[in-house]
Amino acid sequence: MAGKVSKTKKKTAKAKFVPNIVAFACNWCSYAGADTAGINRVQYSPNFRVIRTMCSGRVTPGHVLKALKLGADGVLVSGCHFGDCHYIFGNYKAVEQFDRTKALVKTLGLDERRIRLEWVSAAEGTRWGEVIDEFVAQITTLGPSPLNHKPKSRK
Amino acid sequence: MLDAGRHPNIEVLTNSELVWLDGRAGRFKATVRRNPRYVSEELCTGCGLCVEDCPVVVPNEFEVGMGARKAIYSPFAQAVPNTHIIDRQNCLNDDFLVCNNCVSSCDRNAINFDDTAKEITLDVGAVIVATGFDVYEASAIPSYGYGLYDNVLSNMELERVLNATGPTHGHIARPSDHKVPKTIAFIQCVGSRGEGKEAGCQYCSRFCCMNAVKDCLLVKQHEPDIEEMFVFYIDLRAAGKGFEEFYQRSREMPELTYVRGRPSKIMEDAETKDVIVYVENGETGEVSRLRVGMAVLSTGAVASASNPGLAEVLGLDLDENGFFEVETKYGSPLHTAKEGIYLCGCAAGVNDISDSVAQASGAAAESEKFADKLPDEEKKREVKEIDVSGQPRVGVFLCHCGINIAGVLDISSLKEHAETLPNVVCVEESLFLCSDEGQGLVQEKTVEHQLNRVVAAACTPRTHEPIFRDSCEQIGLNPYLFEMVNVRDQCSWVHSRVPEIATDKARDLLRMGVARARHLQPLYKNSIPIDRSVLVIGGGIAGMYAALELEAQGIRVYLVEKEDRLGGRLNTLTKVYPANLSASELARTMDKRVRASRIELMTATEIEGITGFVGNFDVSTSGGGFKVGAIVVATGADIYTPTGEFGYDKWENVITNQELEAILHEDRQIQSAAGGKTPATVVFIQCVGSRDPDKNAGCSRFCCPTTIKQAIRLREDGVNVAVLHRDMRTVGAKAEELYRQARALGVKFIRYTPERLPRVSGKGSRAEQVEILELALNRILTIATDYVVLAAGMVPDEQSTGALHEFLKIPRGADGFFMERHAKLGPVETTTEGVFLAGCVSGPKDIADSIAQGSAAAAKAAAIVSHDTVALEPTTCVVEPSLCRACGQCVEICQYHAPSLVQIAGGLQVAEINQALCKGCGTCASWCPTGAIVALHFTEDQIDSMMEALLTVEA
Repeated sequence: MAGKVSKTKKKTAKAKFVPNIVAFACNWCSYAGADTAGINRVQYSPNFRVIRTMCSGRVTPGHVLKALKLGADGVLVSGCHFGDCHYIFGNYKAVEQFDRTKALVKTLGLDERRIRLEWVSAAEGTRWGEVIDEFVAQITTLGPSPLNHKPKSRK
Repeated sequence: MLDAGRHPNIEVLTNSELVWLDGRAGRFKATVRRNPRYVSEELCTGCGLCVEDCPVVVPNEFEVGMGARKAIYSPFAQAVPNTHIIDRQNCLNDDFLVCNNCVSSCDRNAINFDDTAKEITLDVGAVIVATGFDVYEASAIPSYGYGLYDNVLSNMELERVLNATGPTHGHIARPSDHKVPKTIAFIQCVGSRGEGKEAGCQYCSRFCCMNAVKDCLLVKQHEPDIEEMFVFYIDLRAAGKGFEEFYQRSREMPELTYVRGRPSKIMEDAETKDVIVYVENGETGEVSRLRVGMAVLSTGAVASASNPGLAEVLGLDLDENGFFEVETKYGSPLHTAKEGIYLCGCAAGVNDISDSVAQASGAAAESEKFADKLPDEEKKREVKEIDVSGQPRVGVFLCHCGINIAGVLDISSLKEHAETLPNVVCVEESLFLCSDEGQGLVQEKTVEHQLNRVVAAACTPRTHEPIFRDSCEQIGLNPYLFEMVNVRDQCSWVHSRVPEIATDKARDLLRMGVARARHLQPLYKNSIPIDRSVLVIGGGIAGMYAALELEAQGIRVYLVEKEDRLGGRLNTLTKVYPANLSASELARTMDKRVRASRIELMTATEIEGITGFVGNFDVSTSGGGFKVGAIVVATGADIYTPTGEFGYDKWENVITNQELEAILHEDRQIQSAAGGKTPATVVFIQCVGSRDPDKNAGCSRFCCPTTIKQAIRLREDGVNVAVLHRDMRTVGAKAEELYRQARALGVKFIRYTPERLPRVSGKGSRAEQVEILELALNRILTIATDYVVLAAGMVPDEQSTGALHEFLKIPRGADGFFMERHAKLGPVETTTEGVFLAGCVSGPKDIADSIAQGSAAAAKAAAIVSHDTVALEPTTCVVEPSLCRACGQCVEICQYHAPSLVQIAGGLQVAEINQALCKGCGTCASWCPTGAIVALHFTEDQIDSMMEALLTVEA
């Protein structure tokens, strides 16, 4: 529902800009949470593409920067809540990695709001939808990334 | 749940009940009635189209009536099996006008209204009763108005309200007006610890205090603007590892007030629907009338309504509360009067999650003695492996999933797009790709087109990848060359209102999947040998139980005890509550059983070093070295030695529970100062060294029942007894009943607060009196006493815990005890694979809980050493030595101790990852500064290729 509202808003306010967002989701919590959203038929914004990793700790600053370099308008990294990590402390390492990524993104002169770290559990299907909707809305407000040289034309 | 459902050796029979049991341990015949589901488990894919079409809406039991479900439904989102059931009571098909909507919506013809109950007979070796509990029906207490007033909820209802997947999506709203309440009152012990007519149960339900504490923290998290919360309680029973610390953290919330007192009644303001709570403050005596926006009743647990029927089938007795009777002669909480039938969880009384989990593993260990061993996995048919060295030849298979995918996504557009992608040589579609026909299509086309990569655009790899991998393997294609694209759960289902945009997304996802598939490499499962023996460290009750369980399963066991005799702390005890078992007799029996068994017993032996990893540990002891496959650590804990509290060092008659136990053990009489002419007086002081942030912040859990046990014994000898306490925490099995018995015997219980500690004074070498502020009277009471007994808690055994921490790398918590893998779900496991914990080494426990953990640890260890080899999942991390500069960062961050630095030629070092220990999370690969570590199946190439496929628009 929230997705639909933001979408209509988007169409009137920011004509034509459809953000390209890469979302890294850990296998055990966030990817499973996205599946739960499906089972519950939660409706949310489609303007993101998921890449599954086993743990949020697998995602390096390099991955995030590569996505931005290739023109992604935003990058989301999503893992398990603290204490829930399938690999005990992988998500804590994800935080450390993400802090480094943030510093690099700032150094590059990009808006750090283009990248986000979130925790979504396997049960939180609704939350997954909310996280995506919120992030899509934020990136839509920020507009195309300055590195997005080839805005994708929708067929 | 999903793990159990998917396990090859577990057959889950839901919607079924045991109706008859014949035979004896090792050869039971169980008759099970499988009630009709009216939906075929085999045919149903759980797609949910029938649910959408069903016109009947009824209250949802899982949401405690707060949400709705249809007449055809899945009980909850992650239910196993992933299928539906028809509620015939509400279904319209039994009406004179047959609805049949579900039948016409199901493309798989899975719905069968002629389904009937079937009885099946199973040959089983043992039976485990794990039937849980029912929630106390709070409407039985009319003065609380549950069911009458809109804004009086039960704790179970609040659980659903707070849940993100619940009826309000985690938003706290008053049922009367859907507004966020500004104030909430939690009322404890509803239906528990009852007295009189509206009593409910007399026992303590154990989990409700922590449940309320947790809910207060969650409420604040969900609704930061909450103004006030109250918890009305009798004793706040935060008795469990880490519970007291958690409770104290909640006390730091300025919005939360704990009030000692049991409300007498609850009323409703008819206009505002506010809730009015009438309560007398037990500390000040003040009677107040409190208006809150919402009240939550902490309803307790009662015995499952199914217990009497099941008890009859099993031939077991129930106790006075309706729970299954435990056979206490073994001291174990798992045994019943019948051999081969075991209890766990709330079937035998109220337990919290971690104890239930430990008991479940323990019951499994007990049962294993009577269970048939499964034959070793059949050798897979040898098939010639498909050569993948050449160019990738990708086959793309598109699943319609009935109309779940095809009803939203434009499959022909996806097909067209797939055909344009590099290396794609065939594109096929199927109505249900996971069906036998669908899998047959995958295999047929793979052979026909000599495919060496297979991509399926269907549902989620989390449930269906194993099916596809199996099919690939059957025809000789390495299963790791299969890639799944999730276009249902994460696309068609969640963007069904925007089919065109959803198709765009699916096209992108498909392109990403094909790109990744082109970079997939075959991976092979390695197997490592397992040494089929177990080391048990510590010969106390937990260790002896673990060793005996393992030995009974025919496993070679080394039991190492540092003292010269077995029994540990059991040797210092007299009677063990609640069954009044003689501790020395229990110790003697266990000692005899151990010595009569084939256990390699090593007393007066110290562990000197342990190296290696799961399946292959090298142990050296003062009595020689040996190899084992798994280790159970059961070294126990120490009793806190008071450091001068209450004159412990000054006066000879100020002693600890332990010292009193020794006096009672030797059957010495407690004498009064007057030399036996008048009855003696003993004053107990609880929480000495416990619940004190400067000493041991935690609650030791066993001291309250210990004091009660001793108080009853003394009272029976005619001694006057007073117990000075902060909260009486009698939470274990039957402990509340003992507390009640002690009060009936005339033991005085007086509460003190940490701000106003009792004062002990005396003369010469003896303490003579105790002064305490009686809170309700607001007066100092002076009690002349002959003995002061300090209830000293438990602290870690520094020496052995410290040494084993070094050898085994098990982390220690803030309290100094070993940390479990998961506080709730892994109470006997550690982060070091193959190493398990039992008893007090992970935190204070009583005898029954220690025994349950001993059995549980045995089950876990047996699961490892009952195989000659273990197959290792190949999706691990490996090091490319030429890139490694031996910085050691991977060694530092890995929680599983998989990487280590090894010497290579030329005196150089490189990191090496032990494949047996690596779990494949890939964190080290992301951490490695030189990129020397490769996370197999999630390599840089594979991840990059997906991003490139998505973001690079090809000209």
